[in-house]
Amino acid sequence: MREWQRAPKGRRAVIVAGARTPFVRAFGELTKVDTIALGVAAVSGMLQRAGVAHRDIEAIVWGGVILPSASPNVAREIALDLKLDAACEGRTVTRACASGLQAITDAVQSIERGEFDVAVAGGSDSTSNAEIKLPQKLVHALAPLAFGKATPKDWLGVAAQLMPLGEILPQRPRIAERTTGEVMGEAAERMATRNEITREAQDAFALTSHQRAAAAIAAGRFEAEVVPVEAPGGKWVHADGLVRGDTSLERLAKLRPVFTKGGTLTAGNSSALTDGAAAVLLMSEDRARAAGLRPLAAIASWAYAGVDPADQLLMGPALAMPRALDRAGLALGDVDLVDMHEAFAAQVLSIVKMLGSDAFARARLGRDRAVGAIDPARLNVHGGSLALGHPFGATGARMVTTMANELVRTGKRTALLAICAAGGLGAAAVLERID
Amino acid sequence: MSDFLLEISRNASARRFVRALGLPLPLPENLARGAGAWEALPLADRAVVVGASERAELASPLATCLASAGADPFLAPSEALAGAFRAPGETFGRPAHALDALADSRKAHGLVFDASGLERVAELEQLHAFFHPLLGRLARSGRVVVLGRELDASASPERAAVQAALEGFVRSVAKEVGRGGATANLVRVARGAESRLGPVVRFLLSQRSAFVSAQPLVVTARARSVGEPALVRSLDRKIALVTGAARGIGAATARQLAAEGATVLCLDRPGDDALLSQLARAIGGVALLVDLTADDAPARIAEALAAHGGVDVVVHNAGITRDKTLARMSVEQWRVAVDVNLGAVVRATAALEPQLRDGGRIVCLSSVAGLAGNVGQSNYAASKAGIVGFVRAEAERLADRGVTVNAIAPGFIETRLTAAIPVTIREAGRRLSALAQGGQPDDVAQAITFLATPGAQGITGRTLRVCGGALIGA
Repeated sequence: MREWQRAPKGRRAVIVAGARTPFVRAFGELTKVDTIALGVAAVSGMLQRAGVAHRDIEAIVWGGVILPSASPNVAREIALDLKLDAACEGRTVTRACASGLQAITDAVQSIERGEFDVAVAGGSDSTSNAEIKLPQKLVHALAPLAFGKATPKDWLGVAAQLMPLGEILPQRPRIAERTTGEVMGEAAERMATRNEITREAQDAFALTSHQRAAAAIAAGRFEAEVVPVEAPGGKWVHADGLVRGDTSLERLAKLRPVFTKGGTLTAGNSSALTDGAAAVLLMSEDRARAAGLRPLAAIASWAYAGVDPADQLLMGPALAMPRALDRAGLALGDVDLVDMHEAFAAQVLSIVKMLGSDAFARARLGRDRAVGAIDPARLNVHGGSLALGHPFGATGARMVTTMANELVRTGKRTALLAICAAGGLGAAAVLERID
Repeated sequence: MSDFLLEISRNASARRFVRALGLPLPLPENLARGAGAWEALPLADRAVVVGASERAELASPLATCLASAGADPFLAPSEALAGAFRAPGETFGRPAHALDALADSRKAHGLVFDASGLERVAELEQLHAFFHPLLGRLARSGRVVVLGRELDASASPERAAVQAALEGFVRSVAKEVGRGGATANLVRVARGAESRLGPVVRFLLSQRSAFVSAQPLVVTARARSVGEPALVRSLDRKIALVTGAARGIGAATARQLAAEGATVLCLDRPGDDALLSQLARAIGGVALLVDLTADDAPARIAEALAAHGGVDVVVHNAGITRDKTLARMSVEQWRVAVDVNLGAVVRATAALEPQLRDGGRIVCLSSVAGLAGNVGQSNYAASKAGIVGFVRAEAERLADRGVTVNAIAPGFIETRLTAAIPVTIREAGRRLSALAQGGQPDDVAQAITFLATPGAQGITGRTLRVCGGALIGA
């Protein structure tokens, strides 16, 4: 087996600060704030609160799923818009919903390898600004007109290719798997059936997510993490927009299935399309201490995994989590907190079930015993994507920030993070508090 | 006009028209067929109903096979089954449900009955009890699989009779379900070979076995184990040799082996240079122009294989016919047919044995006509029946090296050979099978490829017919 390499102590990357914008429903208050502007808001707010000079930032690593096609390197655009030092370079990474965590583990690697000492990592997505795509057929048909001087024959040729009309109309964006054509909710619906997760269990889990998020907001737990965003027109958005602390099992039970007839997934137990951004500030430990900043936590290990998208699309974390734990030298029972991205309540509960199964562990993980049970009291202690929303690229940095702060606040030692992603991908990371 | 019925049956509107008018035209079912490389989940979301006799012993490997292949299992009442299916269901997210939970609107893709525990004649009734209410719910191109035991000489005569009875039962069911494109097969598992059952059932339940019907397959532990078999891209980094690869079954086999990842050496006569080179280019293989009747053929093949560092899969497919009734047949016609079909196989196998790697595969082409006998084919039938004896003995000899040796006996397959048969006889040949149609070269290629994969480690020394449940033949 390959050995997991840890960085020498002073060289290891530590999380110094983290912040995010409010997460709001797509086509809501932040409709006119695109993914770059959201990123600028999160990064600028975070740097201001951390008291770090702009010129110290050497690089931005940014995650995103719906990238603007005219400027896909969002990281660099954020640096430029924010007027960071021109030398602050930037790269944008994408790994579906794990993009945000990907950006962070990428930046950690770069710091630990010695590429830089101070970096911003995070991610953003604005579903409100998804580009409506022209069908490839229309694009190819129009090509002769786009290059050089078109002849009448070219025009005729183009006209001839444009039938039937249905094939050249702009397409509504869908979150569908490229290989299977299956919408993610349909895949989660099948996982609910196959892992025997009931509607009641899903609704109960969603309710807990909303109640915990609402309680955290009411207690001011997120105040240090959320920075306001100014929308065009001068209106400031201060608060998360999706949390429903007053919902109830009865209200959730009334919602209709949205993905399949007679199904169990509803708008209440699925995460909503969301706009938002989140960022963390990473430094080498020596540099952080030299600058008099308090390191909150380090990423002890991480793991990414892939499964057949045609099978159980969102089960990746069930493979990635035990791998990350192994690399950190921990058992599931050792970690104090577990934070799992809630794409759907059905997906979280399916993965919890897999981790608790001896049979699954033997056949799929090559180990004798189940990875372990997760105490619901330790899982998503301040709610998750069901309640807060899920701006795809931002979720990773949101989770890292909340967990790093939680470890410091409670004096606990370790947290296990997990994210499922399109393409049958799974991501996991172990966060450990630094004394 | 010659293949008018075939043309009609391929056209959906015409089929509906003929059915609506109630014309007495027998329209063969369009078989659902697999294509390209094997899927990881060949049975994804397909309902498979499972039943078991008392004392059934194969529930555990069956449960793992179904769940890992993506099937949704529905169980007839049985304590043993429920227990065996629990862990695999949890592992692969394919929980088994009671048979009652199968919605009335949902057809069963597969019906599998584990009859391994049957010992008394009266217990055979359990077959009736399981299949009687279910056959009407079998989907088009569905699959029936019965699991039995391969017994040794110490078994009681009654148990031997009961286990032998399964074969007659399966052959009859094959004929009853064949018109709907469905197949029925029997797998007899020797003691100690239970772990080798899974891939065989996976093949029989998949769309890759479209033209394999009414066959008993025997799974034993005879060939030495060579480790856990890969089920997808299982021939990666393997070298395969296919003789007679320029067209028909040989070409289809070369394509399918390549799809599974093998580097294929395509061998045919120098006269077929153009066709052969085209094929080799298309599948990233190597064209090998050798006349198998030439004296230096075995040496040249061995040399080519040595250049690739050995060989893992050998398919002896090249064959010819020189049809004449025995009274009119010249000794030349006898000699050339027997020599190409059997002599060349024996010589080439001996010559390439040093190149054959452990865990390797030899597949020889026999023929249902060879097993059944045919007017005007005494030479051909002798050579093709000879193959059966050859593989049996060769399998025994090479078993300790993990090598399996088997024969495939195609029935009526739509090739250049059968296209030359007069139309009335040709149409009759198609009709005389449970599936009421001829097979495609791809159907034979799928069966050959299955025998070539690591999953077929349990099958050796046997002759597998790919005949759609032909009426004739032993």
